[in-house]
Amino acid sequence: MALPKAKEDALSARLAGLPALSGKGWISAARAEALARLQAMGLPAKRDEYWRYTDPASLNAVDPAAAKSFNPGDEAPPFDGLDRLKVVFVDGVFDPQASDDLGAEGIRIERLADAAAADIHWAQGLYGVLEAAGQSPVQRPLAALNTAFATDGLLIHVTGNATKPVALIYVHNSDNSDAILHHCVKLDPGASLTLLENGPAAARFSKVLEVDVADGASFHHIRLQGRDHERRAVTHLFARLGARSELRSFTLTANGRLTRNEAVVDLTGPDARAHLAGAAVGDGDFHHDDTVFITHGAEACESRQVFKKVLMNGATGVFQGKILVKSGAQKTDGYQISQSLLLDEDSQFLAKPELEIYADDVKCSHGSTSGAIDETALFYLQSRGVPRRTAQALLVLAFLAEAIQEIADEDIAEDIRERLERWLARHGSKAGA
Amino acid sequence: MLEIKNLHVKLEEEDKVILRGVDLKIGAGEVHAIMGPNGSGKSTLSYVLSGRDGYEVTAGSATLDGAELLEMEPEDRAAAGLFLAFQYPVEIPGVGNMTFLRTAVNAQKKSRGEPEVSAADFLKLVREKAKTLKIDAEMLKRPVNVGFSGGEKKRNEILQMAMLEPRMCILDETDSGLDVDAMKLVSDGVNALRSEGRSFLVITHYQRLLDHIKPDVVHIMAAGRIIKTGGPELALEVENNGYADILNEVG
Amino acid sequence: MTMLETVDGTEVREGVDRETIETVQAMAGKYKYGWETEIEMDYAPKGLSEDIVRLISKKNNEPEWLLDWRLAAYQRWVKLEEPRWAMLNYPEIDYQDQFYYATPKSMAKKPKSLDEVDPKLLATYAKLGIPLKEQMLLAGVEGDAEPRKVAVDAVFDSVSVGTTFKAELAKAGVIFCSISEAVREHPDLVKQYLGSVVPPSDNFFATLNSAVFSDGSFVYIPKGTRCPMELSTYFRINAENTGQFERTLIVCDEGAYVSYLEGCTAPKRDTNQLHAAVVEIVILKDAEVKYSTVQNWYPGDENGVGGIYNFVTKRADCRGDRAKVMWTQVETGSAITWKYPSCILRGDDSQGEFYSIAIANNAQQADTGTKMVHLGKRTKSRIVSKGISAGRAQNTYRGLVSMHPKAKDSRNYTQCDSLLIGDKCGAHTVPYIEVRNNSSRVEHEATTSKVDDDQLFYCRSRGMDEEEAVALVVNGFCKEVLQALPMEFAMEAQSLVAISLEGSVG
Repeated sequence: MALPKAKEDALSARLAGLPALSGKGWISAARAEALARLQAMGLPAKRDEYWRYTDPASLNAVDPAAAKSFNPGDEAPPFDGLDRLKVVFVDGVFDPQASDDLGAEGIRIERLADAAAADIHWAQGLYGVLEAAGQSPVQRPLAALNTAFATDGLLIHVTGNATKPVALIYVHNSDNSDAILHHCVKLDPGASLTLLENGPAAARFSKVLEVDVADGASFHHIRLQGRDHERRAVTHLFARLGARSELRSFTLTANGRLTRNEAVVDLTGPDARAHLAGAAVGDGDFHHDDTVFITHGAEACESRQVFKKVLMNGATGVFQGKILVKSGAQKTDGYQISQSLLLDEDSQFLAKPELEIYADDVKCSHGSTSGAIDETALFYLQSRGVPRRTAQALLVLAFLAEAIQEIADEDIAEDIRERLERWLARHGSKAGA
Repeated sequence: MLEIKNLHVKLEEEDKVILRGVDLKIGAGEVHAIMGPNGSGKSTLSYVLSGRDGYEVTAGSATLDGAELLEMEPEDRAAAGLFLAFQYPVEIPGVGNMTFLRTAVNAQKKSRGEPEVSAADFLKLVREKAKTLKIDAEMLKRPVNVGFSGGEKKRNEILQMAMLEPRMCILDETDSGLDVDAMKLVSDGVNALRSEGRSFLVITHYQRLLDHIKPDVVHIMAAGRIIKTGGPELALEVENNGYADILNEVG
Repeated sequence: MTMLETVDGTEVREGVDRETIETVQAMAGKYKYGWETEIEMDYAPKGLSEDIVRLISKKNNEPEWLLDWRLAAYQRWVKLEEPRWAMLNYPEIDYQDQFYYATPKSMAKKPKSLDEVDPKLLATYAKLGIPLKEQMLLAGVEGDAEPRKVAVDAVFDSVSVGTTFKAELAKAGVIFCSISEAVREHPDLVKQYLGSVVPPSDNFFATLNSAVFSDGSFVYIPKGTRCPMELSTYFRINAENTGQFERTLIVCDEGAYVSYLEGCTAPKRDTNQLHAAVVEIVILKDAEVKYSTVQNWYPGDENGVGGIYNFVTKRADCRGDRAKVMWTQVETGSAITWKYPSCILRGDDSQGEFYSIAIANNAQQADTGTKMVHLGKRTKSRIVSKGISAGRAQNTYRGLVSMHPKAKDSRNYTQCDSLLIGDKCGAHTVPYIEVRNNSSRVEHEATTSKVDDDQLFYCRSRGMDEEEAVALVVNGFCKEVLQALPMEFAMEAQSLVAISLEGSVG
């Protein structure tokens, strides 16, 4: 079917601003197919069902809007004290000086830019493959665009227990940078890896992470999406989970003009487990969108979605989450909670929490709430001598706790709690709530 | 009345054998008790007799007045006169206790070809029986077992038994979760139902219930078999010495 | 059945359950209303065109303004595309392969009173159990302290056959008549309110209805009046290949109250029939409307052959402060259900409630829910939806809760529960939640599970057979909604729940 005129035009304009695809190495076919997918779908538009609450215009634009990088002052960068394998990208460009050697126990890492020219590569079976599978039933054109035009990224093959976490650090320097990175992680049966990500990356950042978690493997993912106020980002996590495997992903978002985090998880083997969580705090011109799609395609899998947002001074939070239970996926345990705390009248929360279920022996539930801070609790704390601002921070942290609890590593969880506390100390609703 | 012969049962979904040849014969009007340590198969026996899913009978038979129970649907067993007082009575939200009782009573009457009880007679009967069990009108209105305390649930089971007038009653750990007063109330309810034509099988872990409901015969069950049978004194022996001695003695 | 039923509200329902079981046993699971009345009909030519719109208007002796209104809707409709966003799968509807107007020949000359109505039509309603004589309704219970009256407007295919208790209602100032009569007798009221809640441009099916609606009911409750009896409209589709497009308009003036019931049935046919209705309710300051529906259109057979395509737009506009509306629906019929009774909570402190049971068995598909649009301050809404899927059916709850920036201190609570019976059906939940101020609190909860095996076993161990046990447990699952219905409807609804699920177990 031909695209509507408006979509056709928007796409041509965007493509004109991107380099032509080169025809080299194993990756060329994957890129060409992704481009074809994009051309068939067009760019997202506000009228599309899953973009009704988030305007994609700035993500579609040929050039990114300028964004200054944020100086965190004397606050130590996240994950600083951890023994980790560091890989640094500055405005989307690999920085060999700042990065560690790409090699560690139980793990093989290559740069996409290096590996793409080879004739054959293991990543052929993964790069763009999960993204393509994730285009149905909901289209994700910006992910296809990423697959076609990503400039770099990491290809990580985990063969055993990766003892050190791999830490990706995205530094943002240039006010006008537009970064497109694409990572693939392949975990062999029984293997395990913790992947850490932090930093704003660029004025506009597009990132796709494709993860293949084989039977019995385990993938932990913790991400802190930089504090730049002006940055815009669209990220996609595509994960395929084998039998008895585990995926845990937690994201903290503080600030950012626009963030759209999509997660597309396929539970393909029995007894697999996927936990996705997010905490977002926004002040002012902040738009944060979590769009999650979990498919139960095998028996006795468990999935959890826990997404919490604290919004003030006109910030907007969006949650679109779906649990799809396919026919035959009996004994499914699916849980989803999305909650927003609105600290003043100007902020808003827009949610579409869905269930689509084709098997009967299931336990699925979702809950969604939105409201102001509990004045009674606030008063109670104040009456015991706690200053209002502190009391509010305490209650906000309590509100976010269920999401932060999804982080398996207690030290990291504690670090994130402290960061949130400091953030709350710096930001307050102008309404004085 | 009830005759169980060489009953072998395993779990349907796993290869786990639970009953390994149970033989038991209960005559009309008799009260039998089955005691045994946890995991001996006592509750399984009650579930298999009442027809719960998930068990596979690999050998043996169980008859009620000569009719083979094991081939019947649960509701037909109930209509034939079998009643199980559940260890964990099930909560059914939204369904009034009274509605539930009347539906059950009339379903049984219908399948036996008897006329249904009129609403007025039914109400009178329920109130009467409820009173002796100290079940108030409010409890009759509430949804089946929802929000009931442990004691209320067990009394409710006995009320159902009183209303359905079964001939063969199985009480599965009816004493579990009851304090002394509640146990007395429940036991009184059971004793009031004892009659020449009605038999009981009381399954319990402890002897104390048998102080209130005096059995004619006591069986000790272990590892899926009845390993010893005796009079009421056998229960006291368990009370004093525990199961270990008997298990050792039998080998 | 005496004493129990009269003690109090709870126990009344004890009696109802007994009815359920008895009815189920008596009916042996067949669609009870599937017979057809053989009666001579007048049809407009097949298909839809401007001429047909003119003809319908002429048949109803309508004024010029209404004809223009219809024609404008028709012109708009021609350019519209049928919406396809619902989780419904059905072959394309050929809008030219339908009759848009069918009326019994005997109705050509409007009967002046029910006495003049064709006995065949009266017999039809008698067989359906709808009282067209002005009699007391004994609520099915002997000894009930207060026999109640229910006024009925009976709509047969495209026309209203008659309305009961008109004189008595008129004494109270209540207008209850067919909408075609209202256009003639109360043109100012109709002109003021028609299309003011659901404008002709609202959506594809509402636009279609605006062009071709043939009849329906009109209700006006004057200021400060509590309607002396329940009002009801009974819709019967009888003619083949004929769409039914009724339009209902209810205006409840300041401080007034009315409880309105709606029932629907249709004969068994192996072709699909279209039903696209519009219901508009205007509720002014301090007024309250309860609108209850038992929708039992023919659902099609076990293989999905035949059945009604039910595309309905229902909306209540709480225009004044403290206005209240309560929608209760029991949706058991139709092959396709597309229906979202909505509440516009415009007045401050206005309230909307939506209670729904939707049962889809065999090949039925339902996509139904509500919209709660909070515009006024301190507005409250409550949604309780119970969806039951069995056979190969698909059942979707779709809803919107929207808190506008100015709707300060408002509340919504939503509970959506789905029950699955068998592993070939589907249950889906698609809520949209839009909160644009922080003093409002929105809570949404949804669960999906299957009928609990332990509950079924418990019932069976007490002597109930499997279908009885399922009916009992499902009625328990639906209790909260059943309790929201007026008693006569609660009884019918309980038995319908049981009947609709027949054949779903074993």
